[in-house]
Amino acid sequence: MIDDDDNTPDSDDPEVKAALDKQETKDVAEGPAAALAHDADPAVVVVTAPGHHDDDGDDGDDEDDEVPGELYGVLAEFDSPGALVRAARKVKDAGYTEFDCYSPFPVHGIDEAMGIKRTILPLLVFGGGITGTVGGMFLQWWMNAYDWPWNVGGKPTWSIPANIPIAYETTILLSVLTTFFGMWILNKLPQVWHPFFKLDRFLRASDDGFLLGIEARDKRFDQARTTELLVKAGATGVDPCHLDSDPDRRKLPTFLYGVIVVTTILALIPLALIAKARATKSNKPHYHIFEDMDFQPKAKSDAPFDAFADGRANRGEIAGTVARGSRNDDTAFHYGLQNGQWLTGWPSVPTVQPTPELMKRGQARYDIYCAPCHGFDGQGHGTVPERVKESGGLYAPQNLVDPVKGVVEQPNGQLFNTISNGRNTMLGYAGQIPVADRWAIILYVRALQRSANPGGPR
Amino acid sequence: MSAAAKTLHPDEKYKAGSLGTKMATFGIGAGVLLLLASYVAGRLADDGLRRFQYGFLTAWMFVLTIAIGSLFFVLIHHLTRARWSTVLRRIAECVSLTFPALAIAGAIGIIMPMWLGNHELYFWDWFGAHKAELHLHNHHLEGKLSWLNPSFFTLRFFFYMAVYSGIAMTFARASRKQDESGDPAISERLRILAGPAMLIFSITTVFVGFDMMMSLAPNWYSTIYSVNMFGGCMIATYAFLSLLTRAIQKSGRLTHSVTVEHYHDMGKLLFGFVFFWAYTAFSQFMLIWYANIPEETVFFRYRWWTDWQTVALLLIICQWAVPYVALLSRWSKRVLPVFMGICVWLLLFHYVDMYWNVMPNMTWGPSHELAKAGGPLTGDLALHQWKFAISDVLSFVGMVALFLGAIGRQLRGNLVPVKDPMLGPSLAFENY
Repeated sequence: MIDDDDNTPDSDDPEVKAALDKQETKDVAEGPAAALAHDADPAVVVVTAPGHHDDDGDDGDDEDDEVPGELYGVLAEFDSPGALVRAARKVKDAGYTEFDCYSPFPVHGIDEAMGIKRTILPLLVFGGGITGTVGGMFLQWWMNAYDWPWNVGGKPTWSIPANIPIAYETTILLSVLTTFFGMWILNKLPQVWHPFFKLDRFLRASDDGFLLGIEARDKRFDQARTTELLVKAGATGVDPCHLDSDPDRRKLPTFLYGVIVVTTILALIPLALIAKARATKSNKPHYHIFEDMDFQPKAKSDAPFDAFADGRANRGEIAGTVARGSRNDDTAFHYGLQNGQWLTGWPSVPTVQPTPELMKRGQARYDIYCAPCHGFDGQGHGTVPERVKESGGLYAPQNLVDPVKGVVEQPNGQLFNTISNGRNTMLGYAGQIPVADRWAIILYVRALQRSANPGGPR
Repeated sequence: MSAAAKTLHPDEKYKAGSLGTKMATFGIGAGVLLLLASYVAGRLADDGLRRFQYGFLTAWMFVLTIAIGSLFFVLIHHLTRARWSTVLRRIAECVSLTFPALAIAGAIGIIMPMWLGNHELYFWDWFGAHKAELHLHNHHLEGKLSWLNPSFFTLRFFFYMAVYSGIAMTFARASRKQDESGDPAISERLRILAGPAMLIFSITTVFVGFDMMMSLAPNWYSTIYSVNMFGGCMIATYAFLSLLTRAIQKSGRLTHSVTVEHYHDMGKLLFGFVFFWAYTAFSQFMLIWYANIPEETVFFRYRWWTDWQTVALLLIICQWAVPYVALLSRWSKRVLPVFMGICVWLLLFHYVDMYWNVMPNMTWGPSHELAKAGGPLTGDLALHQWKFAISDVLSFVGMVALFLGAIGRQLRGNLVPVKDPMLGPSLAFENY
């Protein structure tokens, strides 16, 4: 409140005094009579004519010498929520419409007593909720099934069960937001200024005061009669409320318009930059905000590095050590190579000698790692190519059992190399499948080939 | 806040009078007769009484869930020191006192056949004497046999019933005592007791769901199963208590005490639990659907890709969508004929819910073959057909009659807690 700041220095004393007075009133007695006797001067049931306003010692908000403006209304205080409800009913029954009640907490029954119609908020919330459901569903359909189809866990691109939790959340979100903002809008909040705010009595509406204000624009309003009605209804005090006498000071200060315009423009700048970035193309590299994180000072292996005498970053193996997994002396077993040629026979390592157990192991590994593309029968009709075909693409993995060309005639060593390092579009599986298991798979593939070509090669 | 309070209307008839006696005589008589008729129909059906037993279990679960829900109603009333529900609490107490009667019915219809050598209902008890076969055919079940065996099952059954009956009697007796003394300390004591009682009640209810219904397919499991069952409990309970209260009002009693405001609140809770039930049902479904693990998906496979799909759809539409929309409005909860219609509707569909949970576990093969195959939830889809059986209808009607009779036995003396300190606020209760 701007007036407050202006007046604080010179009205300090009267304010303190008035506050003390009020405190005393509270302590000594309750009820209108006592309040009248003790607190008469500032507040209670005094219908003050505009000219006499300067007697009014308590009101720190008004400058003492100033003539008050036109009457805005009267504000009455009641000592309990029950009294407020009863008074509201009386005021309503007397035919008033332009009045409102102010209390520190929601008072049950006040709506009915004031004659307020049931709120339309539930309907708004229902609309918000429905919008949330439909919008949430549409969002997921658009993103996941239409604009950018994306396979998640093999489910259909638009699968309702997976969408329900999101739609449920958006339903709640929009319902809650509608409730929250609907409350504000329907209650005309936020209300940063109201003529009643000037009255000291009104401050207690957020503490322990139960207040009822009637506006002068009500067609039944008459300061004397209205005040009388409120006193009869049990008010412990009634204050008239005057507008500022200077009409200019009722308006928003001009510089605030400037502030609003400038902040609005400033707030649009980031949005404008984003819009510009989306609409234009650039060949320049992007900004490096954290230069030392984007380009960390480190030496990659086999890169030149001046700090060492040999000029290399790679320091080589430490003398007397062997890297884990690097003792691959048995080239037949580890690389499928014999004297630089593909191994045509079988490695002599005891763990991979052909046994029924190894065959079963090979089948299990094959079904896990190979079958998705090459198919369980090795003919190249796994689920992956089938799905690619369904979506209109073409992907034909090697037929492992074709008697005419390819894998049937390849030596074991070459097969091993393909599993380890990949071939064409197939990537290597050395990281996933241990060496012995690769040989087990080869054994199983050979069995597949033999069963597919009875009497044929191998 | 100033709490409005009223006193009982001078013309109010709050004594049960002859109402309970009439209900008890007629209900128990009709119930026993109808259940016997259901048994005879089951005998004639020539399937080793399997269908009769499944129908009996469904009906028994239907009334048991209402009793469980009523006990919850009483406990939550004390736990939250509720005011509005005080006028309805005595009726809920009377319903919760039916546990001993339900224990007898369950002991005769569910436990006794097990000990007489009938393995048609819970087929896992067949394995007790066939451990070698179990090891060979169904080793998943082997580890569960220390829990799922007739002796321990019987013990647990009576333990659950004793816990429920104990809690129900403690609260109901103290409440009756307060009718005479008017001692507010009784309310205070019950409120303190309600905390631990709620804890015991919850754990018991979880295991009742696991034992009585989920173990029908012992190879399948879902940890949220009983929570979903509890959701159904509360739907049935709020609907049933509203209907029972209205029926008592129609007999000329409690006409002033129970007002539309109380029904409105029952409606709000009903609305909430309709959604809660659907929420838990969907939670159970979605995790199973997403993970797509065969031993979990069987539950829905046999409840969706068969005749049961119709029932599943009915449940989604009629147990959730329709009542959810219907109860959304303030109007439908305050216009009593409409609200009572919704209650009847939901009560019927709670039976369908129980039916959908229990019945698909039944196929027409002999139990030991089911046991070997890993239970009814494996095997031929064509077996999972819905067939009408008169014994189901007779069991349902008979069990409800028996339940009403058992409630009638408890409906005596005051129908409201006349000296409860919270009675005044409850009588004056209003929705703003």
